[in-house]
Amino acid sequence: MRTTPRLSLALLAALTFQAAEAQNVTLPMKDGSVRFAAIGDMGTGEPPQMEVARQMQQYYGKFAFSFVIMLGDNIYGGKSAAEMRRKFDVPYKPFMDAGVLFYAALGNHDDTNQRFYKPFNMGGERYYSYKKGNAQFFALDSNYMDPKQLSWLEKELSSSKSDWKICYFHHPLYSSAAFHGSSTELRGILEPLFQKYGVQVVFAGHEHIYERVKPQKGIVYFTEGASGQLRRGDLRKTEMTAQGFDQDQSFLLVEISGDDMFYQTVSRTGNTVDSGSIHRNAQASAATTN
Amino acid sequence: MHPRPVLAVIAVVLGAFSYSAAMAQSSARTPKAASAFADFNERVKQYSQLQKAVPRLRSTNNPKELEDRRHALAQKIQELRMNAKQGDMFTPQVAAEIRRVILKTMRSPKASKIRKTIQQGEPQPDWKLTINGEYPERLPLTTMPPTLLRHLPELPKDMAYGLVGHDFVLQDTEARLVVDYIPGALP
Repeated sequence: MRTTPRLSLALLAALTFQAAEAQNVTLPMKDGSVRFAAIGDMGTGEPPQMEVARQMQQYYGKFAFSFVIMLGDNIYGGKSAAEMRRKFDVPYKPFMDAGVLFYAALGNHDDTNQRFYKPFNMGGERYYSYKKGNAQFFALDSNYMDPKQLSWLEKELSSSKSDWKICYFHHPLYSSAAFHGSSTELRGILEPLFQKYGVQVVFAGHEHIYERVKPQKGIVYFTEGASGQLRRGDLRKTEMTAQGFDQDQSFLLVEISGDDMFYQTVSRTGNTVDSGSIHRNAQASAATTN
Repeated sequence: MHPRPVLAVIAVVLGAFSYSAAMAQSSARTPKAASAFADFNERVKQYSQLQKAVPRLRSTNNPKELEDRRHALAQKIQELRMNAKQGDMFTPQVAAEIRRVILKTMRSPKASKIRKTIQQGEPQPDWKLTINGEYPERLPLTTMPPTLLRHLPELPKDMAYGLVGHDFVLQDTEARLVVDYIPGALP
């Protein structure tokens, strides 16, 4: 697995909100590519969530992603119908109207009944899998990693024929944030499966910051838990941090084309705070799955 | 290598070995534990029958339907279990076995990681549990340690174990009700 950071800007200017136009999209926008966005810890219903959603719209105009992965804490606090509308339907309505699909994972502030909420596309399950182009996505429930879920995951991963295997869930296995840090017990259980079956990329939320971790045992970990919430200044960059941003809310844009995955992380104000690409080592992936 | 680090390595290896052996033993379960958990499974099965009193949730675009169905289910179960009391599901025998599993897990070499997992769920220590009471929607879900879940009886998908402060809870996740709890089970 090779990662190539192309831009690394910690933009202190982002402290001051300006309704900036979407800046340059750094993604290659290749024909037939798989395009998605990733958001986490967004369901507050507060102005920053709305501002992030508006910024996503600006970028959508230039980079039309077809789906969004939700990394948990989709609905904070009250879960009434009115609250669900305020914290999800209202901010993301323009995307749903445009046919963009949302695929949710559950966070510790969510209600498991959210799995029955159609716009979350969970098919009534706490954990599920779906394919997009040459990638297969595995949405897990890291609140409750029981043996049943682990057996399911192993079965799904072992039978997957997709080039890219991407897992996402709420609790980060690697994190340099001060508030919670890495979920080390969960790491001890999931990481061997990820390695065995050739998972290349993992997305998580929970920590209210953005961080990209240097490849750990060949796997690239992203934490995006600041698409509504923010714990400013909580990132304590460590040796494993490749790039991080804790000065404002943010979201991720991702494009998969063949053996390459491109990513661009954008702040609430429209500034690019991280971007780069990950190259899939086809031979290594094949070796791990054989 | 100095003798002290060597001894430390031996201690860790032996500790890990005795832990694995203990866990293997707990997976095998003593006849007493097997009997207690079989009884518990039966009680869970009976509880699941109550959940059938209200039509199952189906995926919907309307969040109001989710809310209404949850209320209806909670109300029905509260009626059907009007006289439910603490210990109905976690009988003294079941509670004793669960306490034993928790204690063994929390004394294992993984204990600090397990405690960290519980902290990840941002537990609220002051919440007072009531049988048949609603699990408050604003209360974060417990992040249940996977190591602990491996050694507990498996539950149907609309029920879950949880931890609130030091109490071990059995929840109906669809009705969002506290079905039963073991006070002070978590050391």
